Amino acid sequence: MDLTPIINGLYGIPVVGLVFQLAGYLVSVIPQNGPNIMQQATPLALGAICGVLCERSGVVNIAIEGTMLAAAFTAWVVGVAIQPMFGTPNPSDIFGITLPLLIALAAAVLVAMAISALHAWLSISLRADQIISGTIINIAAAGLTGYLNQLISQNSPAGAGEFARFVPPAALTNLPVIGWVLALLLNQGPISISVIVLVVGTQVWLFRSRWGLRTRAVGEHPRAAETVGIDVIRTRYRNVILGGVFAGLAGAFLSIEATNSFQQNMTAGRGFIALAAMIMGRWTPIGSFGAALLFATFLQIGTLINIAPPSGQLGSIMAGVPPQLFDALPYILTIVILAGVVGRSTPPAADGQPYEREAAT
Amino acid sequence: MRIRTRGFGMLAGIALIVSACSGSPTPVPPTVAPSVSAPSVAPSTPPASVAPSSTPAPSFAQKPGLKIGVVTDIGTLDDKGYNEFSFKGAQDGATAIGVTDPVPSIVPKDASEYAADIQQFVSQKFDVIVTVGFNLTTPTVDAAHKNPNIKFIGVDQSPECILPTGAPDPNFACKGVPATALPNYTSLYFAEDQAGYLAGIVAAYADKGAATPTGVIGAIGGTTLCAPCVRYIQGYTLGAQSVNPSITVKSAYVTHDFSNAAFNDPAGGKAFAQTFIQANKPDVLFQVAGKTGNGVLEAACAANIYGIGVDVDQWASLGAPANACIITSAEKHVESAVAQAIEGIAAGTLTAGDVLFNAKNDGISAADFHDKASLFGPEVTTALNTAMAAMQAGTLVTCPATGCGVAP
Repeated sequence: MDLTPIINGLYGIPVVGLVFQLAGYLVSVIPQNGPNIMQQATPLALGAICGVLCERSGVVNIAIEGTMLAAAFTAWVVGVAIQPMFGTPNPSDIFGITLPLLIALAAAVLVAMAISALHAWLSISLRADQIISGTIINIAAAGLTGYLNQLISQNSPAGAGEFARFVPPAALTNLPVIGWVLALLLNQGPISISVIVLVVGTQVWLFRSRWGLRTRAVGEHPRAAETVGIDVIRTRYRNVILGGVFAGLAGAFLSIEATNSFQQNMTAGRGFIALAAMIMGRWTPIGSFGAALLFATFLQIGTLINIAPPSGQLGSIMAGVPPQLFDALPYILTIVILAGVVGRSTPPAADGQPYEREAAT
Repeated sequence: MRIRTRGFGMLAGIALIVSACSGSPTPVPPTVAPSVSAPSVAPSTPPASVAPSSTPAPSFAQKPGLKIGVVTDIGTLDDKGYNEFSFKGAQDGATAIGVTDPVPSIVPKDASEYAADIQQFVSQKFDVIVTVGFNLTTPTVDAAHKNPNIKFIGVDQSPECILPTGAPDPNFACKGVPATALPNYTSLYFAEDQAGYLAGIVAAYADKGAATPTGVIGAIGGTTLCAPCVRYIQGYTLGAQSVNPSITVKSAYVTHDFSNAAFNDPAGGKAFAQTFIQANKPDVLFQVAGKTGNGVLEAACAANIYGIGVDVDQWASLGAPANACIITSAEKHVESAVAQAIEGIAAGTLTAGDVLFNAKNDGISAADFHDKASLFGPEVTTALNTAMAAMQAGTLVTCPATGCGVAP
C-alpha cells in the first residue's frame, strides 16, 4: 500500500503538519544512525552506572570524569608501551581483539579502580568532603594525564590499535521495526556491546541480590544497617571500587574502542553528563542507560539537522533557527528533564554523608 | 644543594651577560636574495622549499643578542600543530640570525594565564615575544601596547581589534589601525583558502579516480566561528570545482561555538563524521577541526574513503596506521612564517600590522602524496603547479569575493 498521499496530506495541515513533518524526518534519519547514537551513549551509560553504584551506597562520586580520563590515558599508554613486545599480532576475527588490547583494557580498569579506592579512602575512611575529594581527583587526572601525554606523545608512538566493531548479520538488522534497534545495540565494539548486559546485570544485582539490598540499606540508613550487622564501611568501599570498573571501561572505550588515540581532556565533560544521566535515571542502571540513550539521541538529532537538514516547510523553518540552538539541544533537554521529571525523585537518603561508627561502650 | 643551585643561577647569569656583550654590536648587512618577493617580509628570505646549497652563507642580518621567547596556546609544545611549529619557527629564526641561547617557551595551562605568561618574558626584558594562536590576541595586543620597545609576533591573530590608541578594544568597534597604532606588533596570518584550493584539486582527482565515484567530496570544520576553518573549506570547494565543475562539495561544522567539541573531542568528531559519511556518501573527506578532526580522519579511513589532513602534513604527523587513507594535507607553513618574521626583525624589514603568508612567500602548500602517489597521474601535479603559479601571480580567485571566511 502506498502511503505517500496520506503522508503528504498530513504534512500539508497548517501548523500541526509541522509536527508530522518532524516525526517523518526523525523516523527517516534516526534508525539508520542507531549505531552512532550508541557510540555516544556508551561512555555516558557506563559512567552513570559507576555513579549509581557509588551513590546507592551513600558516596557521592563526581570524580567519574577524572577517573574516565585517567583510564583512557592508561589504556592508550599501556598499548603504546607493550605494543613493541608483541610485534604486530593479527587481530582476532571477533572484535579485532589482540593481547595488547586486552592488557591495555585490564590496565585501564585497574587504574580506575585504584583511583576509586583513593576516593573511597578520602571520603569513607578520612570522612573528607566528598565533593572536594572528587574535584581533587578530576583536577589531578587532567593535569597528570596532560603532562604525561606531553612527555610520551613526542614521537607520535603507535598505540595498540582499537577494538573492531561487530557486524550483525543483515537478516537481523533488516528486520522490520526492531532491526535498527538491534543494529544500535549490536553493531558495536566489545565494550559498547557489553553495556546492555552490564546495565541489566547491575540492575538485577542492585535490586534482586543480597549485596544489592545491603548496598541500598547502607545508602538509605547506614545506622540501621549497622545495627543489623552490615559492615557499612566495607560495603561502601566495595561499591565505590566496583564503580571504578565501569568508569574504567568508559575511559578505555574512548581511547581504544571509539578512537585509537588519546588527547588531553578527551572526556570533554562526559563524566558530568553521566552524573546527569544517573539523576535523570533516578539512580537506577536501566534508567541511567535510558537517559544516556536519550541524551545521545538528541546529540545525534542536533548533528543530523546540521548535516542533513529536513527539506520542505520544516527545513525552511529550521534554517531560520540559530544553529547554536541545535548544538544546545541535549543540554536544554537535560535541564528540562532534571527540573520537571526528576523533581519528584529523591537520591538515597544518606547520599554524600560520611558515616562514623558509634563508639563502642 | 641549595647553594649549588644558586651557583648555577649565577653561572647562568654571567653566561647571559657574556653572551649579550659579545654578540650584539655586529650586524651583518643583509644580502638581498632575488627570489620570491614577499610584499611585507624581509626580502632576504628564500622560501624554505628551496634547498640550501652546500655552503650555507649567512644571508640573514645577524642579531645574536636578541632574546626571543615563545608563549604558546593551551595544550602542549609538541602538539604537531601550531604550538610545535611556531616554536620550531622561532628556533629556526633565532639560529638564522645568530642567536645561540636556547629559545624559551611557556605553555599556558588555561586562558587565564596568557597575560601572566607574556608578562614573564616582558619582565625578563626579552626583545621578541612570539605568541601562538588567535586566543592570545587580546593579551598580546595589550602587552604590545604597554611595552612599545618589545617586538611582538602573533601567529594567526588577524584581525585584531584595537582602539586608535593601540589598546585592545573591549567594545569591538575596531577603530584603530594596527599597523600604525601598534608599530611593534605583527600578526602573521595565512591564506588558508589557497591551501584549501590545492587540497580541493587533489580531492576532485581522487574522487574521479575512485572505484565507483560518487561525485561528492566532503569537508568537516570545527566551528563556524573559526574564520580560517571556513576559508580552508571555501578554497577547497573552488579548487575541486576547478577540476570538476559538476562535483558536489558537502561541508558541515561540528559545532557553532568554541566548546571542547570543536577542536578537542576525537570521539565526538568520529561520530559526527560517521553520520556525515552516511548522509552524504563522499569519496574524500577534508578535516578542518584540529584534534576533533583526527576522529574525522579515523572515520574516513574506517569507511574506506580518502582523508585530507589540515595545517601540517598529517600523513607524517599522525603516522601509521592512522594515516592509512590520508592522500594529502592542506598545509600552512607556520614554522617558515615565524622564522621569516624573526629574520625580518633582525633585518629591520618586518612591517607592523597584518602580514599575509600565502603562495608568494612560502606560506601554504599541499603536502606530499607519500604512499598515495600512485593514485595520481602527472595531470594532478600539473594542475597543482598551475594553480600554485597562478596564486603566486595573484591571478587565481580562491575565496568568494563576498563572505570570505564567513560560514554560510
